[in-house]
Amino acid sequence: MGHLDADCFYVSAERVRDEFLRDKAVGVLGNQGACVIAKSYEMKAAGVGTGMPIWEALVKCPTGIYVKRDFRWYEVLSRLMLDVVRELSPRVEYYSIDEFFFLAGPARGRTFQELAVALRDRIWERVRVPVTVGIARTRTLAKLISDSAKPFGAWAVLDPEAEAKLLADRPVTEITGIAGRRAARLAPWGIRTCLDLARADRRLVRALLTASGEALWWELNGDPVQPIHPQRPLHKALSRGGSFGEATSDPVVLYAWLVRNLERLIEELEFHAVCAGRLTVWVAYKDGRVGVGQAAPLVPSDRFDILLDTARPCLRRAWVPRVPAARMHLIAERLTPKGRRPLGLFDPPADRAEAIARLKREVNARHGRFVLRSGATLPLAAIYRDTANEYDICDVRGKICF
Amino acid sequence: MCTGIALAWSEMPTELIGRHGLARRVHERGGEREFRFLYRDRRPRLPVWRDGRLQVVRWGNGRGQSRFLPRTGWTWLSTIHEGGWRGLGAIPVDIPATLALERGVWFRVRQGIRGLLVPDERGIAVVYMICEPASHYYQVMTRSERMPILIEERI
Repeated sequence: MGHLDADCFYVSAERVRDEFLRDKAVGVLGNQGACVIAKSYEMKAAGVGTGMPIWEALVKCPTGIYVKRDFRWYEVLSRLMLDVVRELSPRVEYYSIDEFFFLAGPARGRTFQELAVALRDRIWERVRVPVTVGIARTRTLAKLISDSAKPFGAWAVLDPEAEAKLLADRPVTEITGIAGRRAARLAPWGIRTCLDLARADRRLVRALLTASGEALWWELNGDPVQPIHPQRPLHKALSRGGSFGEATSDPVVLYAWLVRNLERLIEELEFHAVCAGRLTVWVAYKDGRVGVGQAAPLVPSDRFDILLDTARPCLRRAWVPRVPAARMHLIAERLTPKGRRPLGLFDPPADRAEAIARLKREVNARHGRFVLRSGATLPLAAIYRDTANEYDICDVRGKICF
Repeated sequence: MCTGIALAWSEMPTELIGRHGLARRVHERGGEREFRFLYRDRRPRLPVWRDGRLQVVRWGNGRGQSRFLPRTGWTWLSTIHEGGWRGLGAIPVDIPATLALERGVWFRVRQGIRGLLVPDERGIAVVYMICEPASHYYQVMTRSERMPILIEERI
């Protein structure tokens, strides 16, 4: 199994089209320009972390250069990298915009190490994005190896002794799927490194971390139980949302964000040809509070009018008056394929709503996304004016992870 | 307000460096030398393209050297459109920049910034940076209400 991870991808992508940024401390700013979503190694060395607000980053790295994100460009490079990986592997998983898993099978007479180097070098040659490649017996090990080999590394480790040495040096939290809470559950049993986990009793690991933890145990011991998915499995949930940039306590603005998120969510429901059986509105407030509202339409739907009627009371429940809200997510669950949606006895007539939805789709397809949209989004005119907001990381389709 | 720009060393003709004593404005970023032109400098200057030649001219009138030019380094685009500079011999110029500085944030500039060059009563060229109301993104990034007009680019 192989794992390929682009090195500080967004920054590297900016450097592909702007040589000036090479070797400089560079931070790519997120959707509203408030947070650093990617940083160069130079900026990282200054102490800037991913997700750090820009005003904190400025203190740590006052001469850093800040760049606005461009997900369309990042997707172009991501798909070029994907093409290269597909040339050298028969089975590739598009895990995220900058990370792929692949089945590693070197050509006759070649070693796994040579395959890792060839892949890294071919991507650098063709796309000019530095990547790190790890190859191992399982995908969990491959990811640990590529993480250890960063940046611009290529490393194949298939010998169990070499694996054990690597695992002994890595804290257990470096395994994807084991963060603070799970690590705390393991700590009383003396499980602190990846090797501790691999050497622990399988039944204990299952009792502490459930079946998903046991899968990691098998993987760490060289038994591949997590397959490579060349196609994205069907979504269990779809969501749209994110940071507002500037916190707001104005209910009209909050409602505008809800409608914007709903329109984007409906695009996604339509793309996947599914209807939402339940909506959740999640709002995070500046004082640390979180508001959640949940409701289900009478029958699963992808219609704007029905879903807005469902989402509105959810927002009311999630709303904390006079407290500035910083971010919102709108989540659709209980997804039903459109053709198999149960009919309700009292479904409102669909002709008018469908005609409006069709018109909206056609106008926007011809003149630009969100050109025709709900009037409730008018308070967000500044957001819509910025064409960069038309395309977000979640609009990059086909990847498994966010 | 955009209070400074940086221009890569390679973009500046050698003769201008000596003539305007630009050596003191040289800084290093990521192993590369650049000139920094800051409004807070005791002698604020900006490079401008005029008649196909790069020149270094006075940035605004913050120290009141001129009695009739506005005591600032910036002008609104709307002021130009409304005729606020009419009759003063003002001409539009490009201010080359590789980076610009706003409230501590250095951000990338691909080509440069729009400027307005105007002679003062002694015929000395003075440049004003042209601004417009900040976009939402720019406002969040820099916490500034106004932003410079970039050449063929908008943040």
